[in-house]
Amino acid sequence: MKQIALYGKGGIGKSTTSANLSAALSEQGLDVLQIGCDPKRDSTRMLMQGRLIPTVMDLVRERGDDRSLTIDDVVYRGYHGVRCVEAGGPEPGVGCAGRGIIATFQILERLGALRADVVVYDVLGDVVCGGFAMPMREGYAEEVYLVTSGELMSLYAANNICKAISRLSSRARSRCRLGGVICNAKNLPREEELVGEFAKRIGSSMVQFIPRDQVVQQAELNKKTVVEFAPSSGQAAVYRELARRIMENRRLDVPVPLDIEELEALAYGYSE
Amino acid sequence: MATPNDDGCTLTGALSVTTEILRSITIIHGPAGCAHHNFSLLHALHASRDFAVPPPVISTDMTEKEVIFGGEHILEEAVFCAAEKRPDLICVLSTCVSAAIGDDVEAVCRIPSQVPVVHVPTAGFLGGGFLAGHIQALISLSRFARRREQVPSVNLIGEKTLEYEVDEHYREVLRLLTLLGVPVNVRFVCGVTLDEISHLGEASLNILRDPSMQPVGEHLRRELGIPYIDSFPLGLEGTLRFLDLAGRHLSIDPSAAVAAEEALQKEMIGAFTHLRRKRISFPAAPTDEYRSRFGYELADMLELEVREGGNPVPLPDPFPVGTSGIRRLLHRWRRRCHA
Repeated sequence: MKQIALYGKGGIGKSTTSANLSAALSEQGLDVLQIGCDPKRDSTRMLMQGRLIPTVMDLVRERGDDRSLTIDDVVYRGYHGVRCVEAGGPEPGVGCAGRGIIATFQILERLGALRADVVVYDVLGDVVCGGFAMPMREGYAEEVYLVTSGELMSLYAANNICKAISRLSSRARSRCRLGGVICNAKNLPREEELVGEFAKRIGSSMVQFIPRDQVVQQAELNKKTVVEFAPSSGQAAVYRELARRIMENRRLDVPVPLDIEELEALAYGYSE
Repeated sequence: MATPNDDGCTLTGALSVTTEILRSITIIHGPAGCAHHNFSLLHALHASRDFAVPPPVISTDMTEKEVIFGGEHILEEAVFCAAEKRPDLICVLSTCVSAAIGDDVEAVCRIPSQVPVVHVPTAGFLGGGFLAGHIQALISLSRFARRREQVPSVNLIGEKTLEYEVDEHYREVLRLLTLLGVPVNVRFVCGVTLDEISHLGEASLNILRDPSMQPVGEHLRRELGIPYIDSFPLGLEGTLRFLDLAGRHLSIDPSAAVAAEEALQKEMIGAFTHLRRKRISFPAAPTDEYRSRFGYELADMLELEVREGGNPVPLPDPFPVGTSGIRRLLHRWRRRCHA
């Protein structure tokens, strides 16, 4: 079983990338489980034809007790058999979403739901607390992929996540490592070069450059992944290539985060 | 003077205050365990003071569900249920868990209710222990007091209601104030009603239980314009100084009270002269310099020999209040010397 987690700045395209990655992996004949770890609960929507599935936390809230939950209550089958789970969480501004992620993982463990050829964790924008580092902990994702564009704030968030990976990987039994950087492009000049250089500087590599393409927007308006909506498109081919590279990837690194001055100088160097 | 007893749970410190308000209910917004271990302690201590009924404490019984989704609604329900019992006051104490997840306890307490509701922030992880909770509760409750025309009288501030001999300490201060002809206005807070608390501003002097209550003394000085003495009387000399200081604060000539107390002290010492030249020793390492100072004062007065290997005599913490406290202590010393 391969467990991977995608982290990156909010709005950078983690869910789009995750859903298309899961779809492409499933086309390889793999049993794929995608777990959305964000109270926004929309990670798996495109795999579910636009449907917002009930979240684990919704069910806990409604029933008041998680002991009556079954796998069928929380796992939903989407495009090409991809199994989908949404952790969910509290309404914005109340409670503790991080604790919600921890509780979800405990429930999924108890239900024996974390079994697949590939488990894809799609995690909220930043590692804001211990709860959102849960997918990186022992027994879960051993490969983290950073999703970033060439924008400074996106690189800044990716660099922050490196700090969390670095800290966690220093624990004796931790097997969490950085698998690589995925550039989800915003059509900035020299963006591929910049993200490639960023990956190199943190001691990793860029596993895939995903160009910006209108077809992504069109697929989402049709409530589908690109792989399903436009299977013959160049963009779908890119996601399939990403799936292939991730499955073949053997390079796992403990990243070395940059300091802020270094990061800014790097971004500045590619701005002209 | 902070003592080791001032560490510990912030919540316990606040409860030692709020459960002393008659016809009030205290709500602890947090997991049941936070209320349970405190309630057990309060129940035992109340029983030791012959209080038949344990203090009314309600837990919101926060579970993981409330931690994840927020617990303000269960607090609102608890306040509603408590208000239906028509108490004079509802005190809401937050806990580490409710503060860590950011429940807006203050906002819930501001929801209009038929009963006044006061929030005492008591999340221990934010810093401070028992003492911080004690101080915070007193400051939060002081909002029910207003500046009023002052009459010669005294408030007792910050009595440590969980300490041994709390009632004896109170009776001794009351006795000394009676020598000055001054009544106690409010025991803030020990067995009083909300209405009594609202009259806090009528006193002309606050007497703090000990210097650790200075933040409360300062707060009341600013808000109500009442000066303060920073400790109950300790030691023989200290008791005479206390009478002198209180008299001057209250514009009362203290000389007659001081003379009467001095005579009482001489008579008391006279009752223990048979201890003269006994060899005594103090606990190996008294944690407070002030306690050993009072111990040596007593030893000098009774011509006791303090030396290693002498009869071990206690120097309790807190040190007994006033001349009566010294008398009780000397009885204990005598038992040790004659054992």
